Amino acid sequence: MTVHFSYVRPASLQDAMGQLTGDNARIHAGGTDLLGCLRDEVFPVDKLVSISRLDKLRGIKKTTDGGLSIGALTTIAEVAVHPLIREKYTALAQGAAAVGSPQIRNQGTLGGNLCQKPRCWYYRGEFHCLRKGGDFCYAAEGENQYHCILGGDYCYIVHPSDTAPALQAFGATLRIAGPRGGRDVSVADFFVPPSRDVTRETVLEQEEIVTEILLPPAPAGLRSAYRKVRARQAWDFALAGVALALEQEGGRVQKSRVVLSGAAPIPWRAVEVEKIINDSTLGAEVIREAAAAAMAKAVPLSKNGYKIPLFQGMLEEELEKMRGA
Amino acid sequence: MKDDERDLYFVEGIAVPQTPLPGEEPAAWGKTTVIGQRQPRVDAYERVSGTAVYPSDVVLPNMLYGALLRCPHAHARVKKVDISAAERMEGVHAILTGASLAGKVKWPYSEEVVTDLFDAQCRFEGEAVAAVAATTPYVARDALRAIAVEYEVLPFVADERESLAPGAAQIHAGGNRFKAETYERGDVNKGFAEADVVLEEKYRTACEIQSPMELHGCVANWEGDSLTIWESTQGVYAVQAKTADILGLPLSKVRVIGHYMGGGFGAKLQPGKYTICAALLARKIGRPVKIFLSREEAMLAAGNRPPANMTIKAGVKKDGTLTALQFSGLGSGGAYPAGGTSLLDWLVRDLYVCPNVQSELTDVAINAGPARPFRAPGHPQCAWALEQMMDALAEAIGMDPVDLRLKNVPLVSQGREGSPPYTTTGLSACITEGAEAFGWREARRRTAAARKEKNHLKRGVGMGSCVWFVGGGRPPSTVIVKLFADGSVNLNMGASDIGTGTKTVMSMVLAEELGVRPETIQIEHADTGSTQYATPSGGSKTVPTESPAVRSAAIAVKQQLLKMAAGELGSPLENLRYTGEYIEATDSGKKVKITDLASLKKQGVVVGIGYRGPNPEGKVVNPFAAQFCEVEVNTRTGEVRILRFLGAHESGRVMDRLTFDNQVFGGITMGIGLGMTEKRILDANSTGKMVNRNLHDYKLPTALDVPEEMVSLPVDMPDSEANNTGAKGLGEPVTIPTAAAIANAIYDAVGVRVRQSPADPLTMNRLLAEQSPEERS
Repeated sequence: MTVHFSYVRPASLQDAMGQLTGDNARIHAGGTDLLGCLRDEVFPVDKLVSISRLDKLRGIKKTTDGGLSIGALTTIAEVAVHPLIREKYTALAQGAAAVGSPQIRNQGTLGGNLCQKPRCWYYRGEFHCLRKGGDFCYAAEGENQYHCILGGDYCYIVHPSDTAPALQAFGATLRIAGPRGGRDVSVADFFVPPSRDVTRETVLEQEEIVTEILLPPAPAGLRSAYRKVRARQAWDFALAGVALALEQEGGRVQKSRVVLSGAAPIPWRAVEVEKIINDSTLGAEVIREAAAAAMAKAVPLSKNGYKIPLFQGMLEEELEKMRGA
Repeated sequence: MKDDERDLYFVEGIAVPQTPLPGEEPAAWGKTTVIGQRQPRVDAYERVSGTAVYPSDVVLPNMLYGALLRCPHAHARVKKVDISAAERMEGVHAILTGASLAGKVKWPYSEEVVTDLFDAQCRFEGEAVAAVAATTPYVARDALRAIAVEYEVLPFVADERESLAPGAAQIHAGGNRFKAETYERGDVNKGFAEADVVLEEKYRTACEIQSPMELHGCVANWEGDSLTIWESTQGVYAVQAKTADILGLPLSKVRVIGHYMGGGFGAKLQPGKYTICAALLARKIGRPVKIFLSREEAMLAAGNRPPANMTIKAGVKKDGTLTALQFSGLGSGGAYPAGGTSLLDWLVRDLYVCPNVQSELTDVAINAGPARPFRAPGHPQCAWALEQMMDALAEAIGMDPVDLRLKNVPLVSQGREGSPPYTTTGLSACITEGAEAFGWREARRRTAAARKEKNHLKRGVGMGSCVWFVGGGRPPSTVIVKLFADGSVNLNMGASDIGTGTKTVMSMVLAEELGVRPETIQIEHADTGSTQYATPSGGSKTVPTESPAVRSAAIAVKQQLLKMAAGELGSPLENLRYTGEYIEATDSGKKVKITDLASLKKQGVVVGIGYRGPNPEGKVVNPFAAQFCEVEVNTRTGEVRILRFLGAHESGRVMDRLTFDNQVFGGITMGIGLGMTEKRILDANSTGKMVNRNLHDYKLPTALDVPEEMVSLPVDMPDSEANNTGAKGLGEPVTIPTAAAIANAIYDAVGVRVRQSPADPLTMNRLLAEQSPEERS
């Protein structure tokens, strides 16, 4: 179809925010998600605001408190191979490496990966579904094999990001620029479940831009991993995934964060798992119990019951790998 | 030009086969020089560098772009089409609708079912409703959106298993049953009574989308009353015939060109509605029109492998003798008759020795896009059922799966009337040599021992074998070979090269026979206006059909050169030898350079015509194969990793070892798709629409889904009875046993039978969850 929107490339963050006025202005970062949405007419667009000239939004650097700052325009590929991220925030590097395909990782940005739209085929397809302002969710009674088993409420998308679970497990914060000043929002608070608002995925307001992702210093004894199970080995989203960040001392878990992907409309913190594994040595019994607890509240739809044994099995496998680390 | 550079088209010292005297049949090739070697594609540089012009690259002066409006419903009746807004749009040149064609243009879905090109009843999502031509593809798409269609949405049926149920939506006035076939030999009840073990099982393979890399489409241009079409096709003459028939044109007024094309697995054996629309729009406007489908359109409307529901019951004696096979299959080629159960029972009828066989096939309608013959129609589906059943039988009688198959290798085609013999069969050799090269017996011992270990990563090995229904090629084919005065050669043939290396293999035949270098040969092909009649590339028939005609044409060239030399050297024909660069007289010892022949210089060219001779009477020419693989199953997550694959294939003579190996790797990759990742998903509960109509949601295997270790083991058995090059087809058998071999390996690893394809984590977790915890760990 012919282009029916304007395209601007502002040179400053201030200008970019100024250009984002009106409901149908959209940010263009890597574009890997945006272009698909435009082609599939997932949402209306009258203006695209490219942020590619905002070079300050690129790059990975240490922060004064010993943590790490990752510019929102940093590519997924850069995150995946960064030595410090691989060493200190392994789950994030692994999550980034598990995104899409090499082309997508080279083009896609970390900020975009957090702000991407859901991958539900009804939402993306020719269906006027609830999230697009329609009357109901087609997946509820339809082809829901890739949909959520936790946190679904009138809408049953899964959150598609592989980096968000890792960032949440590390307690990362997003720095957001807005026309009325900036704000910091923890990754945990950034995503909006359908029970709160079925038409949005994040708390980001129309004129706001994610500029930076801040990782707190990695504590001693921290070990992390991201595991992703998918239907094919590249260019696919998670059927089930988990980011684990465990602080251990003398073989005992002191503190843990466990965040699931492929499970819920938002990255899903499995507090039940954390409670069981904290202050344990990750014995076989604890691991079995923890994996079962992760799924205790799961409510499968008609075609995604397979996810329950899948998540349990995957958690058992990944927790075992953490044992004694 | 210096003298030593003159004969640059000949290979020095090459051993060229004896030339038969006129009227004699050529002897089978003995030791070959070029044939059987690893010859890279003669057009590789053009393809890789981008200078090869594919139909989707064709741009003509003043060309317009067309697009088809497609029904968004699984089943609907078009009540009204309002084009008034679209017609007024700038850049829109013409719009075709059911009303504007007034029923004058028909589309034959099959011999029996012929509808209007834009039929008011749209029986599947993606059915064509109207067509536009505009200055750009974007304006054309905008114009489609500006067309207002009023639909009466009708009830639909999306699942073939529900098509015949009472109350199911009726797709055709005569009901939803297209075809019921039965086959019987011997007495299955007697056979089951004689068996020591009888097993019965149900299997299903999901519908697969064909997904060639280049989408379906064409460019149509009229010069006066002559139509030229550049089409991405497997057969230019097939496109010519159907297009001429639909448009009521003489064949001589329709020229179809398809030099390069980006893949076809059966869905490009004929033109599409887009071809007719492009021709009609181009004629109406008087400018060329290009129509290429989008990926989504191709997924909906351009061809698939039908889903297959199969029940198989088998009886076997303790010694491995098969006593009975009973098979029933239900399938659907979509909303129109399109071979929904085509050849679905063939392996049951023909692959193994069995005196008592019964089968019944039921082809039904559903509201989904029509199937097209897809790489070995029916066979990979049947293999999924039969080859898993063979393994189950082997286990039940305590026999190795390889031994059970070897015990039942037939020398005759039992599935055919009168059980005619195969000219050759490499089935035993494929199984034996394949198992040996794979290390089958050692691997089986290893996986059996490992099963007792407490480890959630389980390894298993599996295999499957096959015959392919055809693959011998057949007449007609006419090929013209020209040898110019400087010794360079031109090959003229109508056949397409659908990415399989046809041009390369035919160049090798000429090189072998004439002693010329393959890369110096000019090839004209796949053009109804300037190349000779050929049937489309399907059925694994291009090499066994065309290569004998090419060889015959080359021999005709040699015979004429020898005749010229006979006069110039003063020796009788029977004393002359064509050696490539020279013709030598064995009596006088005199020799003459081909390029020095006075008659050749004067004539400028020698033209040799070759025809494909008949196939041997009363015999069957089929290729055979066995494939082996090793997998690792994660019993906790249901992930299956394919660790290695080996394909042992007997397709007569190995013509080009490089294209041979690549066919094997490509076929295995496609089979991995059937076995592991691919399935069309229709929104069966509420709309009937296809939900995974893109390359992300429809999961073709990627490079990472294919094992690094893939081995091609050719079983080279020149079949001199089949034709004069001894080649059989290879393109289809390579994908027949793959998925079944994977399923058997999964069973060997974890003891679950994957009855429904694909074996993705969705399926595997369901199956593993049914196992007890002891079985899983």
